[in-house]
Amino acid sequence: MTTRVRRSTLIGFLGPAVAALLLVGIVPLGFAVWKSLHYFNLTKIAQSRFVGLENYIFVLTDPVFWQAMGRTALLFAISVPTQIAIGLTIALVLHRPGMTLFKTLTRLSLVLPMATTYAVVGLLAQVMLNQKYGVINQMLGWVGIDAVNFIGDPTNAFIAVVMWDIWQWTPFVALVLLAGLSTVPPEIEEAAELETRSPWIILRNIQLPYLIPSLVAVLILRTADTLKLFDMPFTMTRGGPGAATEFIAILIERVGNRQFDIGLASAQSIIMLAVTIVLARLYIRLFYREVR
Amino acid sequence: MKMKLHASVLALSSAAVMCAAGAANAWSLEEAAKPYAGTTVDVLFLDRPGYNAAKEMLPEFEAATGIKVNATTVPYENALGEQVRDFVAGGDIDVALIDLVWIGNFAENGWIEPIDKFTSNPELADPELDMADFFPLVLNAFGGWNGTVYGLPFDNYSGLMFYNACMLKDAGFDGPPATWADLKDVYGPALTKDGKYAFALQSKRNETQSADSFARMLWPFGGSFLTAEFKSNLNSPESQAGLNFRQDLMKYMPEGIVAYDHSEVVNGLAQGDIAMITEWSAFYSTLASPETSKLGDCLAVAPEPTGPAGRKPALGGFSLAVATQADDAEKAAGYLFIQWVTSKANAGKYLELGGVPARQSAYADPALAEKYKFIPALVESWQAGVPEFRPRFAEWPEITEIVQEWGTKMMLGEVSVEDGAKTIGEKMEAVLTTAGYYDGKKPLAQ
Repeated sequence: MTTRVRRSTLIGFLGPAVAALLLVGIVPLGFAVWKSLHYFNLTKIAQSRFVGLENYIFVLTDPVFWQAMGRTALLFAISVPTQIAIGLTIALVLHRPGMTLFKTLTRLSLVLPMATTYAVVGLLAQVMLNQKYGVINQMLGWVGIDAVNFIGDPTNAFIAVVMWDIWQWTPFVALVLLAGLSTVPPEIEEAAELETRSPWIILRNIQLPYLIPSLVAVLILRTADTLKLFDMPFTMTRGGPGAATEFIAILIERVGNRQFDIGLASAQSIIMLAVTIVLARLYIRLFYREVR
Repeated sequence: MKMKLHASVLALSSAAVMCAAGAANAWSLEEAAKPYAGTTVDVLFLDRPGYNAAKEMLPEFEAATGIKVNATTVPYENALGEQVRDFVAGGDIDVALIDLVWIGNFAENGWIEPIDKFTSNPELADPELDMADFFPLVLNAFGGWNGTVYGLPFDNYSGLMFYNACMLKDAGFDGPPATWADLKDVYGPALTKDGKYAFALQSKRNETQSADSFARMLWPFGGSFLTAEFKSNLNSPESQAGLNFRQDLMKYMPEGIVAYDHSEVVNGLAQGDIAMITEWSAFYSTLASPETSKLGDCLAVAPEPTGPAGRKPALGGFSLAVATQADDAEKAAGYLFIQWVTSKANAGKYLELGGVPARQSAYADPALAEKYKFIPALVESWQAGVPEFRPRFAEWPEITEIVQEWGTKMMLGEVSVEDGAKTIGEKMEAVLTTAGYYDGKKPLAQ
C-alpha cells in the first residue's frame, strides 16, 4: 500500500531547498549567460550593448583561450594519474593489517596538505622555491646540486605547479581510495591471499572492482578542481613567466577582474562549464557502466 | 577727487586684505569639520610605508574633527578591482585611492570629483592649501586628467637608483653609473662575479613588468608606447633600442629575473647579493632599516641613469580624490581628510613616519636631506619626468595585461623583441580602436 503525500507537504519540504538552489546557483548562472551575450566592461558601462554570440565566437577562435585549455589539460594529464598511482600505493599500504600507530600518524599527516589554504600553498611554494633564498635549493646545494630556477623558467615553473598540485591532492586521493578499500569484504581478501601470493592479482581481481566508485568520484572531483585551479598558481607564479602557467581559470580571472570584460569572461566561464559537464557525464557513462 | 578715489581704493583694498586675513585666521580644521562630526569616510589603503604613516597620523585628525576615517588595507593588485566594483555598484567608498595609471579611468567614468569643487568652497578650503607647493609634475601626473585636477598627491614615488656603495668601491668605482650604457658596459662586467650581480630589474608578470621593467627601458632611449596619433611606437628605432638594451642587460642580472618582484630585488640588494637596483623611493625605509637590510652605511641613492634621451625616471604614485558616489557630508569630510593628510603642515611628520610627501617645502630643509639619503635624488627626479610614463587613460588595465604577457615572453626569448613589440602594438591598437580613439569619439589624452 502506498501513501499519497499531499502536494503542500512536498512543496513545504522541497521548496526551500529548490529556492536556495535557484537563488545561489541558477540565477547567477542565468545572469552569466545573459551577460555573455553582451559587451559589458565595468570600466565602460556606457558602451554596454547586446552582441549576441560575438563573445562565444571570439573565445572559440582565440588561440590564447585554447593555449590555456591545452596547459590545463596537460596539467590534468600529468598530475591526476600520478596522484592516483601514489594515492593508491599509500592506500594499499595503509590497508594492510598491523603498524597501527604508524598508520594513524600517516592518516593525520595526510590531512595537512588538504587542510592548507590553496593561496597559502602557492605563497609557500614561491618562498620555498626561490632560487637564491629558497629552502629547496638550499637542500639541493647540500647534495652538490646547483640551484634550480624553479619559478623564473617557463618549463620549470609548469613542473613546479604540477609537483605542488600532486603534493596537495595525493593525500585526498589516498584517503578516498582507502575508504574504497574498506568496502572490500575481508573474508574475500583472505580467501584470495590463500589462493595467490601476488598482490597485483588481488588488486586487479578483488580490490579494483570495489574501488571503481571511489575512482570515479576522484576523477570527477579532480577534473573539476583542475579546471578551476586558480589560487595556488596565481599566488605562486601569477600565470607566468610569460604564459607558462596561465591555466584556464587564471585566464578567466584576468579577463574578468583585471580587464573588467565581464561579458567575455562570462562566455569563457560558460564554455568551461559545458566542458566540465561533458567530462563528468563521460566518466559516469564509461566507469559506472562497468560497475553495473 | 582723484586723491579721494585713490584713498577709497586703498581703503577698500585694505579692508579686503584684512577681511581675507581675518577669514584665513578664522579658518580652522576643527570649525570646518564641525558640521561633519560623526561622519565616517571609507577609503582603501595599501600595506606600504606611506599608508602606515598616514594610519599613525589618523587619530590626531579624528580627535580634531570627530570624523572617522575607515581605512581598509588591500593588496595593490586588488585595489583597482575593489574600487571599480564598488563604484559600479554604488558602494561605500568615499575617497578614491588613485594610482596614476587609473586617473583617466576614474575621471572618464565620473567616479571622482574635480578638486576645485572643494577648494572653491571657503568653508572647506584651508587657506594654507597652497597647490603651487606640490611638485607640478607630481600634481599633474598623479591627480590631474585632461587639464582638470581631481586628486591631491598622497603616496608619491619616483624611480631611484639604490646601490651598495661598498660593492662599487671594492670594484674600483667612486659612484654610480651616470648612464644606462655605463651600467651595462662598465659596471656590469666588473660587478657580476662570484654569485653576485651588478643589477636586477624587477620584471615579474604583473604591473611590475609593465611599469618597472618595460616602460623603464623605453623612455630613456627616446621610445614611448604611443605616437602623437596614438599608434604603436614600440617598433620605432628608439623603442627597439631600449627593449634590446634590456635584453642585453639581462646577462648582468640574476637568472630568473622574470620571477623577481619588488621584494626580491630589494632583498637582493639588502643582503649584498646585488650591487644596484632601480626601485621606487618608497623602498628607502626598507633598505635603510637594520631590521630588514644588511647595507647600513653602504646604502647610497642616486637618480636613475640617463639614456640617449636624457633622464626619464619611472614615475608612479597615488593621489586621493573625493568619490562622486559619496553623499554631501561624506564628500566634505573626505575632502577635509585629503586636504589634511597632504597638507604642508603635515608633510614633515608624514616624512618622519615613513611617507613620501609631494610638497616642495618639505624638502627645503638641508638637515632632512642629510637624514634621508633619498631626498636629493627624489627632488632631482621630480623636476622633469614623463607624466604618461605609462599611459593614464581608461584602457591601461587592458593594455598592461598585454604588455605583461608579451614583455615577459620577450625577456625569456620566447619571442624576438621586434615580434613581441609588434604583437603588443597590434593588440594595443585593437583596444584603442574599440575605445574609439581613432574615429574621434575620444580625445587623444594619455
